[in-house]
Amino acid sequence: MATKKHIYHHGRGIGFSYPLSLQQRIYSMFIAPLAILIILLLLLRVLAIVPSLSFHALPLSYLWKALGATFVRLVVAYFFALFVSIPLALLITKSTFAEHLLLPVFDIIQSIPVLAFFPLIILFFIHYHFLNGAAIFIIFLSMLWNIVFSIVGGLKVIPNDIKWVAHVFNIRGFAFVREVLIPAVVPYIITGSLLAWAQGWNIIIVAEVLHTYIPGGSADQDLFGIGSVLVNAIARGEHSMFVAAIVVMVLGIAFLNLFVWQKLLHYAERFRFE
Amino acid sequence: MQNDLDSNNNVIVFDAVSKVYQPGSEIALHDVSFAVREGEFVCLIGPSGCGKTTALKIIAGIEKESSGVVVRPEKISMVFQSGALLPWLTALQNVALGLRINHVPEHIVQKESLKHLEMVKLHDLVNKYPRELSGGQRQRVGIARALAMNPSVLLLDEPFSALDPKTTEELHQDLITIWKETKKTIVMVSHLIEEAVSLGDRVVLMNNFSIKKIFSIALSRPRRENEVEFSREVSQIRRSFFS
Repeated sequence: MATKKHIYHHGRGIGFSYPLSLQQRIYSMFIAPLAILIILLLLLRVLAIVPSLSFHALPLSYLWKALGATFVRLVVAYFFALFVSIPLALLITKSTFAEHLLLPVFDIIQSIPVLAFFPLIILFFIHYHFLNGAAIFIIFLSMLWNIVFSIVGGLKVIPNDIKWVAHVFNIRGFAFVREVLIPAVVPYIITGSLLAWAQGWNIIIVAEVLHTYIPGGSADQDLFGIGSVLVNAIARGEHSMFVAAIVVMVLGIAFLNLFVWQKLLHYAERFRFE
Repeated sequence: MQNDLDSNNNVIVFDAVSKVYQPGSEIALHDVSFAVREGEFVCLIGPSGCGKTTALKIIAGIEKESSGVVVRPEKISMVFQSGALLPWLTALQNVALGLRINHVPEHIVQKESLKHLEMVKLHDLVNKYPRELSGGQRQRVGIARALAMNPSVLLLDEPFSALDPKTTEELHQDLITIWKETKKTIVMVSHLIEEAVSLGDRVVLMNNFSIKKIFSIALSRPRRENEVEFSREVSQIRRSFFS
């Protein structure tokens, strides 16, 4: 069973690139995020979803703090996912037997919507009075498979010549993993991470609004973050707050894209085999 | 042939070696016997898929023979067709990698790596990454990397097949200079008869996964392709090649 995600990562020409020209940079840095915001606001107005907006009394620092709290959750989940993905991908590709045994299992697991597990996960973390753990764990699950399958794809396209070099120069065991395998999959870790973060931003909208999954729950049980601010703002009819939260989230994502992901994608080029 | 295999001067011996990659699959090498003497430059030639690279991989220990006896020294290095450099390491780091992994003290790693990069005339490009180097320069790094390990046998798998004629000619000359200076035993796979005659002491012609004939090239060096004797050797091998 090869899912769409699986096949996608096996190809070498993964469709991300670093904007090298000035025009591309201006487009990525200013025009694209601005266009997204304008289209979003126009849609809201045209569809009359937001009757009137007033931004002058909005607590902007509150929104930035919410974004910061969400960001911390995503970072923690991401590093857990990365920490688990690398050995998992190495295990899958260690032998044909391991691959035939594990890959179909992982393919099925990753095809099950992560939110299906969420009520169970919440119950587990409520038991330990650690609701942040529930959100982090569900984000971790949503991120994990993107990175795993991306790394598996990367490991499979390492040229045989390189493996033979390692053999001839006696680069074996952990040294082979450290000196050859890990650097060889850096571009795939980065593209997988980019997709994982996109998945993480998707899930955060649900992962922070815990009360909907807790029997008899209230908004007080939600985690403070941009996702819960968004959902509760629309639930309370605070349209201006809702739009401002979206604007803050888009700006945050655009900032990350420009100053982290695009730089990392550019950096990853040096690890690509020709 | 048996006398050749028994000589004390041999560093590599193939005695009735065969190779099948998977049980039931097609044969990759069939009953191959030859020996390489210390300090000798031997070229394996033959049509694509005739088993010459398989033989080289068995010498390198990358592949294991299915039957027969292989004698080879412990210290073997190899230069690959594509260069096979690690793109995230500079030329110097690529050359140093094998030494570093094998726990050679850092000051010796630096000294040896620089010495061998100088030997292949790349002392100005030590900090360049593979993508910043031409095809010929990458192959030079590959040769430096292999030599830095101080092998008793240097294996080359069609190292010049992707290079332009001028670069190939320069590398031929440099390889012969290095061979004379270091006195290494060299086994090189090539698909060009001219290249094999230009470089080798002996040319092993392979066909259909076995050895068809072994030619001794008694020409003095430097060898020039426009000389009559050179053309005669090439013609002789070509006749066997196509017969």
